[in-house]
Amino acid sequence: MLEIKDLHAGFDGAEILQGISLSVKAGEVHAIMGPNGSGKSTLAKVLAGHPSYEATAGGVMYGGRNLLDMDAEQRALEGIFLGFQYPVEIPGVNNAEFLRMAYNAKRVHNGEDELDPLDFDEILNEKMSWLGMEVKYKNRSLNDGFSGGEKKKNEILQMAILQPKLAVLDETDSGLDIDALRVVAGGVNKLRSPDNALILITHYQRLLEYIQPDFVHVLSRGKIVKSGEKGLALELEAMGYDWLTTTNA
Amino acid sequence: MSGSVKEAPGQAESLFLELHKKFIKDTPPSGGLRPLAEAALKRFETLGFPHRKHEMYTFVGTQDLVAQPFTLSGGDPTPDGDFLRSQILPGCEKSVVVLVDGRYRADLSDTSALAGDLAIVHLAEALADSDLQKYFKQVVDEENDVFAALNAAFLTEGVQLALKQKAAPEAPLQILCVSSGSAAGPVLNQPRVLIQVGPLAEVKLITSFCGERPNYFVNATMDILVEEGGQVACSQVQRDALDAWNFCKTRISLASDSRCFSVGAYYGSRLVRHHCDARLKAPGAEFALNAVSVLGGQEQAHQFVRIHHEAPHTTSHQLFKNIVDGKGRTSVDGTVIVCAGAQLTHSDQLINNLMLSDEARVDNKPNLMIFADDVKCTHGATVGQVDPDQMFYLKTRGLSEKTAKELLTKSFAESVIDTVRFPALAAELKRSLLKKLEA
Ligand SMILES: Nc1ncnc2c1ncn2[C@@H]1O[C@H](COP(=O)(O)OP(=O)(O)O)[C@@H](O)[C@H]1O
Ligand SMILES: [Mg+2]
Repeated sequence: MLEIKDLHAGFDGAEILQGISLSVKAGEVHAIMGPNGSGKSTLAKVLAGHPSYEATAGGVMYGGRNLLDMDAEQRALEGIFLGFQYPVEIPGVNNAEFLRMAYNAKRVHNGEDELDPLDFDEILNEKMSWLGMEVKYKNRSLNDGFSGGEKKKNEILQMAILQPKLAVLDETDSGLDIDALRVVAGGVNKLRSPDNALILITHYQRLLEYIQPDFVHVLSRGKIVKSGEKGLALELEAMGYDWLTTTNA
Repeated sequence: MSGSVKEAPGQAESLFLELHKKFIKDTPPSGGLRPLAEAALKRFETLGFPHRKHEMYTFVGTQDLVAQPFTLSGGDPTPDGDFLRSQILPGCEKSVVVLVDGRYRADLSDTSALAGDLAIVHLAEALADSDLQKYFKQVVDEENDVFAALNAAFLTEGVQLALKQKAAPEAPLQILCVSSGSAAGPVLNQPRVLIQVGPLAEVKLITSFCGERPNYFVNATMDILVEEGGQVACSQVQRDALDAWNFCKTRISLASDSRCFSVGAYYGSRLVRHHCDARLKAPGAEFALNAVSVLGGQEQAHQFVRIHHEAPHTTSHQLFKNIVDGKGRTSVDGTVIVCAGAQLTHSDQLINNLMLSDEARVDNKPNLMIFADDVKCTHGATVGQVDPDQMFYLKTRGLSEKTAKELLTKSFAESVIDTVRFPALAAELKRSLLKKLEA
């Protein structure tokens, strides 16, 4: 599904990702862990097509196509979803209307008719109830004045609505208390299928107790320095990230 | 008056003085209007047209305007019926006062929905009232805006709209100012409307400016006098021909516990300037002014606002949202004056501008003049572009560049449109004003 080969990327001439290779197949869950500043969010933004970031070497293939040739909109329409570490607040844009626009953009892209507001509302209500989101969030401005936890839930709500093939969730767990984490993880698990894949970016092992990864990768200073199965996450938790800074120094 | 030596009128002033002679000959103002018009003409001569650095016209270039060979609109042109109907807001069909080229047209107006609540009186008759006469005299003598003085110098056709004590009509009153324009050359028309809101009355007003043909300068003056406990929700909609000039001075006077909540919407044209002068004269008075402008091409729309808190316990709010594309220009020059003794005044002012092109121009001059010590006043101004992080966020959800940009720019303007108290007007603005944001 996704094939990252020796990817170097950054912005303003600063190379932050320094040769990343990663292969993700349908049905898999990959966790990417690493200390702050190691380049996790940069990788996520490069995959989602942030215009400020530039790939300077290497490549990314997605479903047999060169991902780096596509802009953010195309990538989204082709099934890539980025759950933001810091979801952007957009005052004045109605949350439910925005969700319907995004949903319909995808339907039109897939050659389907747009769904009218009433039919969409049913879908929205169902997904919101999965996440224990109150109805009032429909008529709020998009992320505007949401608490950290509400924003993260709203990201997963968007994922549930858009049903991506490949979701990259950037620190979705941070800012959530344990109950919210359980609900959000439950929502994400509901969306898993043999046809889609998940990249979970996290700083902590905690999330991985609820969403079991097939592989765990450790990112440090723009490189994957260790890969393993889910046991690696527990090892990391026990060791902390200090060993990375010392061995890499 | 200052002791400065009065200069001979410049060329531009001479053009208008010539025009005035013709006006006095052809349509002499009747009765009580005559001395007012004469006093205003003196005021006009004293003030003169603004030079480039005039403090009231810092951001508004009038050189091109005052050099135009204007004629006065003559006859009583009747606008095309379909055009006129298209300008009447849904719900105002039976509560509309039509002015064509500044003249009140009873034959085109219909105020049957306001029967019993509204009296329409020719200004010359209204001036029989000594209080009104005093008000007008003072306004003329103290006039500081030369274009408002010009309007008063040509005072012949003003209309008084008096809303009775405790009137609370369901229907909003639309004041429709049609400029008929001309194929021949630029025409000057100068509406003068006095709105009196009686004690405890609760009314809704919409003033709309529109042009049937190009080539005109509409130079309006509105007075809104709100008596004790009166409440007015008003909107001003400027939607003129592209090459038109539209200047309007609105004077608002608020008695105790009265409220005026106003929202302006500006489509822009060659040059639009709104001068709002609000006076909160007694405790409990509250004034709000929100305005939105959406400009592109060479369009300009400018706001000049002075809010005077003349009494304690008065409140004012201002919110401006301007979106400027192309070579459009906008400015907000707004000062809140808290007079001595006006303790416990609350005032806030926020100016937000969104620039969509490098060639657009935005100027802000927020200002506070405070002569009392126990007050709470804030002001702020921002100028920004479409936020790239917001754009990226929307695009990662599959929205196109165009859709994302429209969503962001429209929502910026909508925050003001949503404060319009007339659903039919808000809907119309979302349809037509925001359409300007569609690429
Ligand atoms: N917008 C930015 N401006 C400046 N530096 C940035 C920006 N984004 C990332 N960086 C830098 O790039 C490096 C990687 O950051 P990031 O990808 O956010 O790490 P992580 O998500 O792993 O904490 C850090 O050194 C960070 O300071
Ligand atoms: Mg990060």
